[in-house]
Amino acid sequence: MARPQTAVRLSYHTRLRLMLLPYGLGTVALVIVPAALAFVLAFFRYDGLQPPRWAGSLNFALAVTDELFALSIQNTLALIILPVPLRVAGAFLLARLMLRGGRFLRWSRVAIYLPTATPVVAYAVAWLWILNPLYGPVNWLLRVVGLAAPGWLADPLWARPAIALISLWTLGEGFLIMLAALHDIPAVLEDAARVDGAGGWAFLRYVTLPLLAPVLLLLTLRDAILMLQESFTTVLLATGGGPYYATYTLPMFIFEQGFDLLQFGVASAALWFLYLLTGVIVVLVLLVAWQWRIGLDDEGLLL
Amino acid sequence: MKVSYSSRVGRALARILAAALFLLPLWWLLATSLTRPSGSLLTAGFWPAEPTVENYRRLWVLLPLARYTFNSVRVVLVAVPVTLVVASWAGLALALLPRASRYRWIVFSLAVLMVPAAALWLPRFFLYRLLGWHGSLWALVAPAWMGTSPFFVLVYFRSFRRLAPALFDAARIDGAGVFQLWWRVGLPLVRPTTLGSGLLAVLFYWGDFVSPLLYLNSEAAYTLPVALQLLQQLARADWPLLMAGAVWTAALPVALFLLVQPWLQQER
Repeated sequence: MARPQTAVRLSYHTRLRLMLLPYGLGTVALVIVPAALAFVLAFFRYDGLQPPRWAGSLNFALAVTDELFALSIQNTLALIILPVPLRVAGAFLLARLMLRGGRFLRWSRVAIYLPTATPVVAYAVAWLWILNPLYGPVNWLLRVVGLAAPGWLADPLWARPAIALISLWTLGEGFLIMLAALHDIPAVLEDAARVDGAGGWAFLRYVTLPLLAPVLLLLTLRDAILMLQESFTTVLLATGGGPYYATYTLPMFIFEQGFDLLQFGVASAALWFLYLLTGVIVVLVLLVAWQWRIGLDDEGLLL
Repeated sequence: MKVSYSSRVGRALARILAAALFLLPLWWLLATSLTRPSGSLLTAGFWPAEPTVENYRRLWVLLPLARYTFNSVRVVLVAVPVTLVVASWAGLALALLPRASRYRWIVFSLAVLMVPAAALWLPRFFLYRLLGWHGSLWALVAPAWMGTSPFFVLVYFRSFRRLAPALFDAARIDGAGVFQLWWRVGLPLVRPTTLGSGLLAVLFYWGDFVSPLLYLNSEAAYTLPVALQLLQQLARADWPLLMAGAVWTAALPVALFLLVQPWLQQER
């Protein structure tokens, strides 16, 4: 292919780097600079109207002494610890059930992923009706079989379990990851184990689980980060943080401080704690990767 | 490998049960949206009493749904192609660059992936106001200019790196530039990735609730998710109407997913 010689001929690698430019520039403008700005803003008093004023560590003091802040941290942790193990275990079991062969393979997989493909807003509104204490279908079912019907999202005691329950249906991404990971375990291994007399449980215990340990751990940590960030929409629509602040999470606190009370500084100070929580999880990820010698450009880490 | 008849039946049954359990919430959503609205209290069940599309008619009367839908479609039509181009460019460059620079970019991408979404709400609010995007659909489309998320870049990188490097070398010897390497060599070979990423990007932009909530200030620019919240505030206890709104919001992504899933399942 003949191409006209331009005055400046860029080298191959330079032109490759040009292809990275939109991504790099966009990320710097939309993530790096904003994130840095939020870090700095934590040291200023700012309400968006008057120019920011230096506040030292005042915002941190204000955030930490806020009763709702401590509560939001507790709730955030509860909404990670409650659903994440169940989501990962569920994704694993479902992936095993729908790994290969047999009937209904394709359509059962589609059914598992469908709630994940549903917009969170529509899904949250649907659950608001499904878990309606008086008329909702779940409590109707519970009454039919003669069980006590809890108040779910309207009951401070049941609201957190209810949010966790809702999140169990959206494990589609984890399900796909587990499916891919299980698929990578060669079928020959299973045959060999069978010849050696290993039953289903022995195979699971001594072959599948040890091979999948890093994937399971990384998926758990990834899910924790996901729940940290993404329970916000569900919570905002389903409970608004209530009842009696039972589902009031850290992102809710940041949202209210920032956009309702215009305390941008306090909101940014609370962000530091969100970073701290995320940072702890990231360190755990790196430890897992290091333990199993997963390189940064290996596929394993790119779950 | 032979699997006994009883275990095959057991597995098929377990699959049906799991699928039914996962479809149940969506079924209830649909069934309730088809229930006849009445003055008396709604009673739950598995089937809609006197099925009707009356709620959808009321929905269209109550809200300027055409405008909201149009806004959502516009956001997706701009944001998804831009996302795919930016992410596939970056992914290809990552796959072809020398190891050292590739490594730096991957560390950068993974770090960016860890930034909590809530951390960007406020500063992006200021940024969009500065750029004059606040209140317009540009604010909703903005993340597309960085490929939406490093996730998409990494996914493309994985796909491109699986291709034989010799393919790209051969094309280069034939005089292909990087643009042709992308359009003629790379992209046609990773169509499933484009399809999957495209679907995920549609789900992301169509379902995005936080951006319109934070960066729009007039109802005229609302997309469907915030319109649904508006409906929730307007008709708090009118469950059939609310469910109709939710079904309308979910219809396109769900339909799209069902449409493309045969191609997504081909590989495995």
